[in-house]
Amino acid sequence: MSCVSSERSALSRLRTSFAVLAVLSATATPSLAAAATQAELEAKVQSLAEQLAALQAELAQMKAQQSANSSSAPASAPAVTSATAVPSSGSASPLSFFGYGELNYSQPRDNTADTTADLARFVLGVGYRFDDRTRLVSEVELEHAVSSSEDPGEVEVEQAYIEHQLTNSIFAKAGLFLIPTGLLNENHEPTRYYGVFRNFVETAIIPTTWREGGLAIQGNSEIGLRWDAGVSTGFDLSKWDATATEGLESPLGSIHQELALAHGKDLSVFGALNYTGVPGLRVGASVFTGGASQGQQGFDGAHITLWEAHTRWTPGAFDLSGLYAHGHISNTQVINTALVGNPTLIPENFFGWYLQGAYRLFDHGRYNFSPFVRYERFNTAADYAALPAGLTPDTLADQKVWTTGFNLGFAPGVVLKADYQWFRDSALSDRFDLGIGYQF
Amino acid sequence: MNNKHSTLLGGAGLLAMTLPVSVVVAGEYLSVETAQRAAFKQADRFDEIDLTLNADQQKAILALAGPQPPHGKLRVWRATQSARLLGYFFTDEVIGRQDLISYATSIDAGGKLGEVEILVYRETHGAEVKNRAWRQQFAGRDNLAQLQFTTDIKNIAGATLSCEHVTQGVRWLLALWQTTLHGS
Repeated sequence: MSCVSSERSALSRLRTSFAVLAVLSATATPSLAAAATQAELEAKVQSLAEQLAALQAELAQMKAQQSANSSSAPASAPAVTSATAVPSSGSASPLSFFGYGELNYSQPRDNTADTTADLARFVLGVGYRFDDRTRLVSEVELEHAVSSSEDPGEVEVEQAYIEHQLTNSIFAKAGLFLIPTGLLNENHEPTRYYGVFRNFVETAIIPTTWREGGLAIQGNSEIGLRWDAGVSTGFDLSKWDATATEGLESPLGSIHQELALAHGKDLSVFGALNYTGVPGLRVGASVFTGGASQGQQGFDGAHITLWEAHTRWTPGAFDLSGLYAHGHISNTQVINTALVGNPTLIPENFFGWYLQGAYRLFDHGRYNFSPFVRYERFNTAADYAALPAGLTPDTLADQKVWTTGFNLGFAPGVVLKADYQWFRDSALSDRFDLGIGYQF
Repeated sequence: MNNKHSTLLGGAGLLAMTLPVSVVVAGEYLSVETAQRAAFKQADRFDEIDLTLNADQQKAILALAGPQPPHGKLRVWRATQSARLLGYFFTDEVIGRQDLISYATSIDAGGKLGEVEILVYRETHGAEVKNRAWRQQFAGRDNLAQLQFTTDIKNIAGATLSCEHVTQGVRWLLALWQTTLHGS
């Protein structure tokens, strides 16, 4: 008899014995206690008690045997002899290191004197697991290789937050974290996107890599629904530099605070919903909204909302994606009136969208090759609040960019990229880009 | 914070409350015993194997399985019913983005994979790998040629590393079965 079935059988017999004992106890009333019957009953009870003791011993023996069996190798185990069974592991330490980086070369078609070669990003991350539910995630980034007063580089803390698992499906975060928006912001490593540079929409409209300080919760369900909600620091419109063009390159990128002594009077809230219940499909949307005056004089009532919707679908070797993002800054009329005469006033609306298709033409072992094409249309100043006649700036024309090229993976976590970009209705020159990226 | 913010937060909170939530026990979604019973319902014994491999065996497995992420602890059990082999049950760990994912799967006596179960997931990033629909893609496959990431096992955008590494781990287990466990 098998171990499990014999245990069940013993338990069944034990229960039967208890039931008989209970029935006997209930029926052994004084009115039925004739001397001969009582003696018979006592004999039966004695017999049942002995059977019970035997069954208990049998059960204990079987449990011990089962426990021994499950912890020792059977005679038919594979005849293998070395000490290591699986590839290397770093699981013992609660400390983890990770990182990514990207180097690129970009040559404009029209003015080759503007050709650049750059160690665009060098990022090192440290994680630490305090216990089985609580972790630190941090990343420090060096942009453009050298950071000093005479060099273009910057050193930034890109992420530094504590995450704590509340339930099977809900995590909480506190600290400096990436805002859950779009397809790139939380997945911005070079191995995760097509093209040498991040797409324009998720750079100019969504200021990837966009992080704020605050509190957030994230939930995931088995049916494929992920939701995020949180409260965080927001934008500071008083940082707007009307004398420079940075605000036209990325309105929100020029006024984000990145938790660097951030003004925190006006907090923002955000939420995101993503569905991945069908393998290969992701559909989602997010919104971030909050005050942007931060109590600074002259910026009363400024409020910023950025929302976007996105999808990515990977049927077979295809990888198709699309995204639309829209930003709105309210109450800019009074602020802009004070800035009239400067080259860059604050736009009221800005937007962008793109469609992208890639095809994994080759995938063998460590090598894979995916050509792609992307079309983007975006406008960083699509609309201005009306000023007195003649003072309202002209809106920008939509910028249209075609990008085509390939990603060549030649080792896990390493990618070589090349692309060509055509700019339509833009002051930018068409250009050829070459890059290498890694993530570990 | 104005009324609009309060409404948004309230809505998010309401949404959170309506979504399925189960109480976590030390970050564990499914116990090994429960996963074993789900994989082999008829089994009356699960005998753990003290599995060690020599260099040639490891090389052969890697050649079949392809590139691997760092693994954590591997455990293997023989599932039997009345001494008849039903298959093997595995628990393995692979790196997700920064931390290990503990998962389980099974291979029946004919070499067919069972479902993949996530036993423990330790980080927010890539947690979508727990999706039932994604995990069910593995069940019934018995050939490494049918276990190509992105084409056979579809990716979840935003959880690419977790999905890719679990797929690579399952490929390693199937290669282990084909080279070492099959016929033993």
